[in-house]
Amino acid sequence: MSETALTPGTPEELAAGLGEAASRRQTITLGGRFSKNRMGGPVAASDVTVSTAGLTRVLTYEPRDLTISVEAGMPWIEFSRLLAANRQMVPLDPPFADLATVGGVLASNSSGPRRRLHGAARDVVIGMKFATLEGKLVQSGGMVVKNVAGLDMGKLLIGSFGTLAALAVVNFKLLPAPEVRRHFVLAFDTAEAAGAAVRAIRQSVLQPASLDLLNPPAAKRLGLDGYVVSVEAGGNPSVIERYERELKQIGPLTVAAIPLQEFTRNFLEEHAGGAVVRISATLSQAPEVVGRLTVPVVARAGSGVCYAHFAGAEAAAETVRGPWIAIMEFAPEALKATLDLWPSPGGDLELMRRIKRMLDPHHLLNRGRLYRHI
Amino acid sequence: MLSPEAKKKLAALLGPRGYLDRPEDLSLYEYDGSVDKARPEMVVFPRSTEDVVAIVKIAREHGVPLVGRGAGTGLSGGAIPRAGGITVGFARMNRILEIDLENERAVVQPGVVNLDITLAVQARNYFYAPDPSSQRACTIGGNVAENAGGPHTLAYGVTTNHVLGLEFVLPDGGLHNTGGKEGDLPGYDLTGLLTGSEGTLALVTKVIVRLMRQPEMVKTILAIYNAAEDCGRTVAEITARAITPVAVEMLDGVMLRMVEEATHAGFPMDAAAVLLIELEGLREAVEEQVEQIREVCQECRAREFRVARSAEERELLWKGRKNAFGAVGRVSPSYYVQDGVVPRTQIAPTLGVIGKVGEKYGLTISNIFHAGDGNLHPIILFDTHRPGDLEKAKNAGEEILRHCIDVGGSITGEHGVGMEKNELMDRLFSSDSLDMIRNFKLLFDPENRLNPGKVLPTGKGCLEIRQFALTGAAPIY
Repeated sequence: MSETALTPGTPEELAAGLGEAASRRQTITLGGRFSKNRMGGPVAASDVTVSTAGLTRVLTYEPRDLTISVEAGMPWIEFSRLLAANRQMVPLDPPFADLATVGGVLASNSSGPRRRLHGAARDVVIGMKFATLEGKLVQSGGMVVKNVAGLDMGKLLIGSFGTLAALAVVNFKLLPAPEVRRHFVLAFDTAEAAGAAVRAIRQSVLQPASLDLLNPPAAKRLGLDGYVVSVEAGGNPSVIERYERELKQIGPLTVAAIPLQEFTRNFLEEHAGGAVVRISATLSQAPEVVGRLTVPVVARAGSGVCYAHFAGAEAAAETVRGPWIAIMEFAPEALKATLDLWPSPGGDLELMRRIKRMLDPHHLLNRGRLYRHI
Repeated sequence: MLSPEAKKKLAALLGPRGYLDRPEDLSLYEYDGSVDKARPEMVVFPRSTEDVVAIVKIAREHGVPLVGRGAGTGLSGGAIPRAGGITVGFARMNRILEIDLENERAVVQPGVVNLDITLAVQARNYFYAPDPSSQRACTIGGNVAENAGGPHTLAYGVTTNHVLGLEFVLPDGGLHNTGGKEGDLPGYDLTGLLTGSEGTLALVTKVIVRLMRQPEMVKTILAIYNAAEDCGRTVAEITARAITPVAVEMLDGVMLRMVEEATHAGFPMDAAAVLLIELEGLREAVEEQVEQIREVCQECRAREFRVARSAEERELLWKGRKNAFGAVGRVSPSYYVQDGVVPRTQIAPTLGVIGKVGEKYGLTISNIFHAGDGNLHPIILFDTHRPGDLEKAKNAGEEILRHCIDVGGSITGEHGVGMEKNELMDRLFSSDSLDMIRNFKLLFDPENRLNPGKVLPTGKGCLEIRQFALTGAAPIY
């Protein structure tokens, strides 16, 4: 990507490296382990590449406080293992879990099935330190779960694709892992029936961790037929039995885990020219998206986010234009520079650009990485 | 100074019933729930977003400061017009614009009272989760400004976790929208930045909130202790055993007696402390957790363990908790509520520290905690008529907060920094971090006219002045 590559070993070195490059007006490519180059806008050629992959320390972990502070380059898989060893979790379930870093998961706002119950990155991060192009380390939030001291600047970095600053340290709140986790699959002949099942579950007293809806092309990739509803429940054994009883009333049920966390990644690995459109739907629109598109669609039916998988970028380009709010989240790297990845940004894009200009006045950092608009 | 010309324009815009400017009326808007005061020069009551835009444009034209105000229940001086100017009261923008249960959302104006959202949807089994103790009075606009919490945020998160979109007016009069009913809109999370910005970046005119499905079962437990340390140990043990209550509130003996005299909720008059614990969820989960908590409480030497048997009993226990500040008002002429946060394992030692601070200053400090998430509310009792008492109370409060910082906590969990704690910010944040907050302030409000004098330290006694001058339009930095 560029001639100079930096892999700082401490947050201070990261800040210094960014500061030096910026003071020389060098363009910078910023990432962790670069596992998601097909995601977001194109990675432009740059003078310097900065990776946070060398920042791998656990800074503070007191399981009894239910909080942890880690450096941004820590591999997500190690992070998850450490928590699991203490029967705790940060249930983001990001794709590319075995390649990604903690910082990369946040910068791309990656999330997975269990966001229905536990939220996305914005809901589990309680503090962070980020390095700016001025060569400074800035802190937002802290190490306690309730904290309103100062502006919540950290929120801006989540989903920013490294266009504002570099994540150096991230603090999370932790959850105890449930005693039992079980997955259920319900299958239906029509989108309407599946949509009704999703609605019934959402409106019931059940509080499933995940609630996903797949159309037949997506189900077929997993060896299933029809419109499929996938539900994960957590809790004690009698809670799990209760889910089984209640879900049986809603449709034909099997107890089975289907591999949804890496559905998108697996698809992309099979389709070198493939593209994935992420549709930000409302909850009531999600079944409609699943019913109308003929390519494999996985809908996070409990949060409204739908992922439509295309074998080629052309068809994806058509879907991303509407009628729903959508972006082309993954696209072939060679085509990205010419594709319209984010056709209809909201009226708040100008404010976003003002923030970008404040933090990066010379437009040096991860140019175009935010879906080619920033 | 608000010029006669500016006043005239505002009066013409809003009509005779749309503003207040007589000194006796303005004096009602010089304070909030905190201990500081400053009088606005005019209070205006917009009825629509268009009114807000027009007010902001007039203020801009005349270089006048603006402060948003909901119900004035805030506890850090967030709604106090420190530099005078115009107070924008949102009391009349109090309509719930849309309830969309299919999408688990409501769209509301900023003056809607927090509890009114839940009241509007509870018959259909939904609720709005953040529940500050002042929820019968406080407004969503104020909640968004301060990123308000409440007892149940232990399980459900604070305001920022339940706000999905905002309409807002910037100090230049520009009207903007961000976020929406949909999940994961691409781009920077401006909603997240504005929530908790304490009215210093924008005036919010519309809020999209998340509604949640009511749980099947709720159980409320009162555990009574003869020693406060045992109470603290119970909280730590609940966490260690991965039991997940939705609220764990602690009241110490002083607090208990005041609350009981005021509400007759059935709290014991002679105990050292109690825990009020709530569990919600599926019947199978709640029933098991009640037994697990019973075990923990017994092991930690609770002298009594009561489970509320009816909705009425539960209501009464919560009434006692939520009216605690009112109960204090009955016995002490003045009180000062603090809002520190410590890591959960530091709760018991911090109780000891607070006791010592009270002894040092000769002041009674009662304690009411959101113990489950380490958010402490020491209430310092004092008498404004006794010379030096207010100073002592403020110093005692500051000493407690310094302890919170020293053990890795925060100076505010849910009340905000405001003009109460801005001088402590440089103990919590580096100068680089404070500079960045200032940069954001300048970006949104280059003339420093929106709620000036809040959040950032004024730099009293330091060489570097990070806060802006309160009066002029030009920032000093």
